[in-house]
Parts: sequence; C-alpha cells; structure tokens
Amino acid sequence: MKKILIVDDEQDIVESLKFVLEAADYICYCAYNGEDGLKLAKDIMPDLIILDVMMPKINGYKISRLLKYDKKYKNIPILMITARSQKEDKLIGEETGADEYITKPFDLDEVVNTVKKYLG
Amino acid sequence: MGKILFISNRLEKIQHYAKIFDKKPYEFFTSSDEGAIFEITEINNPDIIIFDHAFVNVKQIIKKLKSVTTSSSFVFLTQNTVIENDIIKYINAFLTEEMSDELVLSTIAVNLKTKNMLERLSDTNKNLADSLYRLNVLYSTSSQFAGSLDKGKLINYMVEGLDKSLSFDLTCTLCTEDEPVLILNSLYEISDELLSAIKLRTVLNYKSLFEDKNPPFEIDIENLKVIKTVKYPANRFTFTIFQYDNMFAPISLGDNFFGCIEIFKEAPFTSDDATCFQTIAQQVSLPLKSATLYQEIMETNLKLEKLERLKSEFISIVSHELRTPLTAIKNSLDIISSERCGTINESGQKFLSMAQRNVQRLAGIINDLLDLSKIEAGKMEYHFTNMNIHSVIDYVKSTLFGVAKEKGLNLIAEETLNLPEIYADAQRLEQVLTNLVSNAIKFTPEGKNIIIRSHLAKAEQLNAPDCFKDDLKKLNGEYIVVCVEDEGIGIAEKDLLRAFDKFAQIENSLSRKVGGSGLGLPIAKQLLEAHSGAIWCDSELNKGSKFYFALPVNAVTSNLEKSLILN
Repeated sequence: MKKILIVDDEQDIVESLKFVLEAADYICYCAYNGEDGLKLAKDIMPDLIILDVMMPKINGYKISRLLKYDKKYKNIPILMITARSQKEDKLIGEETGADEYITKPFDLDEVVNTVKKYLG
Repeated sequence: MGKILFISNRLEKIQHYAKIFDKKPYEFFTSSDEGAIFEITEINNPDIIIFDHAFVNVKQIIKKLKSVTTSSSFVFLTQNTVIENDIIKYINAFLTEEMSDELVLSTIAVNLKTKNMLERLSDTNKNLADSLYRLNVLYSTSSQFAGSLDKGKLINYMVEGLDKSLSFDLTCTLCTEDEPVLILNSLYEISDELLSAIKLRTVLNYKSLFEDKNPPFEIDIENLKVIKTVKYPANRFTFTIFQYDNMFAPISLGDNFFGCIEIFKEAPFTSDDATCFQTIAQQVSLPLKSATLYQEIMETNLKLEKLERLKSEFISIVSHELRTPLTAIKNSLDIISSERCGTINESGQKFLSMAQRNVQRLAGIINDLLDLSKIEAGKMEYHFTNMNIHSVIDYVKSTLFGVAKEKGLNLIAEETLNLPEIYADAQRLEQVLTNLVSNAIKFTPEGKNIIIRSHLAKAEQLNAPDCFKDDLKKLNGEYIVVCVEDEGIGIAEKDLLRAFDKFAQIENSLSRKVGGSGLGLPIAKQLLEAHSGAIWCDSELNKGSKFYFALPVNAVTSNLEKSLILN
C-alpha cells in the first residue's frame, strides 16, 4: 500500500483528507507543523506529500524546496494546498517545485483523483 | 524766491546789481573774496551765481565750483560779445555790461524758471523711478507668492519684499498656524530685555485685533517660539526702537487668520509706503490659504492611501482566514453526503445539499472579493496570448450547458465563423462570459432560450443605451463583440448602469432569491478595461436582457508592441 504524508496545521482539514484517502486504500501519516512534517518525510519516505502553504515556523514552500533540491526526495510528488492569500501570491512566483496546486476550498474527490493520477 | 550770488570786486557793479535785485523777490548777496566763495556757496546754496569777467582767476573759479555744486545755475557777465570757448560748457546764460536793467532781470528770471522746472522734472523722475522699483518688487514678490505652497517660504518672501520696497529696521511677524511663532527680521541685534518687550507688544497687538471676541489662539508669551534673523549682529538696537515710525497689519483672508505683522523704520513712512505694506500683507494671505488647503488635501490623501491599502490587506487576510474553516466545513459535508459514515434519509439529504450549495456560494463570494481587491490594488496578473474567441465560447457553453438544461433552459451559441484572433487572457475572458451566462441562467424562467452570439464590428457601429455612451466613445477601430441574450426578468433602464456598481445588485425579490455576491459584473467591467475593451447591456423589463462585451482586434499588434517597449 502507498504511503501519503499530510502536513497541515489545520487538524480538521487533515482529518477529512485522511478519511477519504484511507477509504481509497492509502496509508496516511499526519504532521501538524512544518518541522514535524519535514522530519516525518525523511523518516518514512512517503510516496506522495500533501502540503499546506501557510504554516508556522517552516512554511510549505520551504519544505517543498528543501525536499525537491535533495536527490533522495526529489521524486516524491507534492500537492500544495493554498488559500490564495496575498502573502502566498508573492511567494508563488518563486520556484517551489510543487507538482500540483489545490485552492481552498477544494473538492475531496478532486484531491483523491489527483492522488490517483500520481500513485495509481 | 531765488538766491543770487554775485562774484565781483567792482563796487559800482555790485551796487548796481544789488539795486536791480532789490525790487523783486530775490535774495541777493555778493562775494569779493576768492577764498570765501566756496564756503558761501556751500552754506547759502544759491540758485544762480553771476560771475564778473573782471574778477581775478574767474575761469578757474568757475571750473572748480562746477565740480562741487550741481544745483546752481551759472551766469557769466561778459565784457565783449565774443563767447569764450573754454568756459562756454560751464555757463547757462550770459549778461553784458550794456544790457538794460529789464533785460538783466528777465534773463535771470528765465534762467531761474528753467532751473526750477528742471529740478521739478528731476524730482518727478526720481519719484517715478521709485514707484517703478516698488512695482517691480511687488510684482516679483507676488510671483514668488504664486509659486509656493510652503508657509515658511511664503512668510520669508513677504519679509524680503518688504525689505526691498521699504528697507525697514525691524519686522515682527506673528504666525498663528499650527504652533504660534514670532519671526523677527532685524537690522541689528536685539537684547533679551528688548525681545521680551517686543513679544509683549506683539501679543497685545494681536489681541487688539479681536477686540471683545476671543482670539483664535491663546498665546503664551513665556513659551512663544522666536525665530530671529539679524543683518548686522555687531550693532544693537535700544529701546528707542519704539519711538521709530511703525505700521501694523493683520494677515488674514475672510475668516482665515494667519497672523499679523508690525514694521519699524527710523525714517518716517510715506503714504505710498503704507499702501505698499498693506498690499504685501494682503497678498500673502491668499497663497497662505492655498497652502493650508494644500496641506489638508495632502493629509487627507495620505489617510485615503492608507485606508485603501488597509482595505486591500483586510480583504486578502479575511479571504484567507475564511477559506480554511470553509474547507473544513465543505470536506465534512462532502464526507457525510457520500454516505461513507452511514445512510441519510431523503429530507436529511435535502438539507445537506442546501448546506453544500451555500458553502459553494460563500466560496464564490470570497473569490470575487479577492479578485476585486487584487484588481483595485493593481495586482491582478494577466496572461495575454494570441487567441480565438471561439474557444472561450465553446468552453463556457460546455461547462454551463448542464446547469442550463437542469433548469429547463436552452443554451445556444450563434457564432460568426472565422473571427480574427485577439490578444487577450483566455482565462479572464472565460470568467467574464461564465459570469454573464450564469446570470442569464439565474434570471431566466424555465423553458426559455439563452443565446451567445459573436460578431465583428467597427467602433462607430456599436450601439448602447445613453448611460453607456461615454464608455463606447473611448473605443476606436475594429472589435469582436460577444452578446449574451436571455429572455429573463430584465432590468429597468434607470438601473442599467448600477448593474456594474460594486454590491449594487438590483433590489427585487427574484435577485434576492438567486443570490450572488453582486461583484461579478464590476469584476467583468474591470477585466474588460484591462483588455482595452468595454462591457454594456441593453434590457427591457420582463422581456429579457442583452449583455455585450467588445474586445479590440488591432490590440494583437499594439499590445505586442507595448510589451516590447516595456521589455
């Protein structure tokens, strides 16, 4: 079974994602801040990461860049969740390496379909 | 009255002339001593000096006297009629020994008259020159006034103008704007004692302007700020300054009071000086008023800019903060409605879909708000490409066909084939057309038609209700026009323009039932303006509406050129 890492400081959103992805037969790991997310990513080597942009300490863009510039992790697909805030808009111009962007509020089915596109 | 000095040592001639000039209003005196001539001339300042040809060294004396006196007229008593060349240029008139008394008298009288007239002319000339100078000062001062909106500079210009035209010893200007300041421009240094006396005097002057009323500013003499400029700090003024001639004027315009000014000068002021002083003090009031208004406008502008920025930031933050909880609600509703947590009965399903529909609506409003705040902040990003309008119409038709069908409506596209390409942002145009078609779907009752048309038109062929005429006037050249026609409730003519106003969704029961942020059309208008296009509508109440938008065809090249120039 494929492993998915969900990193978001909003627990409710993590839970709903976890629910539908587990229903689609994926194993989900969850982290509620950027630091834990980065550590977990290195520990478990997930097959895909769902990453929120706005998080305290280490934001999603930073995590994405750190992983994508590392040979060991650069092939892990990253789905970035964004709220389209002005702050994020400024950052989005920079190279983040994310494979997909999902705008809040998103459709759960759409997320599952996108995950399936990468993991089958 | 004329003073006549006769330089001679012939007694009989002196007596003769004394007799002639005794009768008329002449003052006659003589000098027979070569050494005393200069002193007598200096003291008595004669109008006419008559030189006797028989006087010793007379020619040298004439030359010497001419170089020291300019106000006397020289007359030469000659022996023969041959005029002597070496003194002719110093002499105004000649007398001869043989002349009758009447002729002598009339020669002198004419000479005196000429001299007086010349003097008067020179006085008038001097006055004219003075007036001209003063006018020039006033002119340059008033052009300086007109060129500045800085209050400090305006006061400086006023004092400069006064200095040039009146050459004062001291001016005391009290400015009551913001914090009261006493500006002193002085020829000599002012001692501390004199300064306190001047302060007191100025404040009393100031209070006297308002008689029984309270002055607009309370001035605390102890803490009154003083700005002092001294021309010659080595010298000092004493209290005698208060015995100098002085003038005082308020600096005010209508109800606006800016301050007052007092001016001191040792020599007395003339009435011309007073006019000049009043003029300058009055002239400075108008630019001071403009400066005050300018300052107010600048402050208001800064506040508005800040508010505008805050508003944009606020909307951006709010939309972000709203999105996250909205996502959690939407996800939970979706999971429940998928019945993965258990089955839901029919009425439960009904309310669940009501909640889902409203979450969707809220998300739409947040997106619109964010779009509008981006457009207004100039942060909207456009991705212009050469594109075909058919693809936009196809896309919108296919995405909304289902929605229309569900409501029992017919969505039809009647396009003109082979329209030229345009340079535009396809996604934004899809947004505009989606909005127009969604509105049509919202406002059209079951069983009716919605038609999307497209055609090519010249700017002058375009037609719109009067309220949009100004928008169409800006257009020039060839345009692709897209029209969304419905058979819905329509819009009253007076409400047409308001349809494109922010939050101005026209009040009626149906529009409230169908909902929406009311921002779709204002956003569409802004997006079209970014494309150098236009949007307008034509409608008849209860018959239906036609919404048009026009996109320039020639922008394919002009926009490309623009981006080339920018790069």
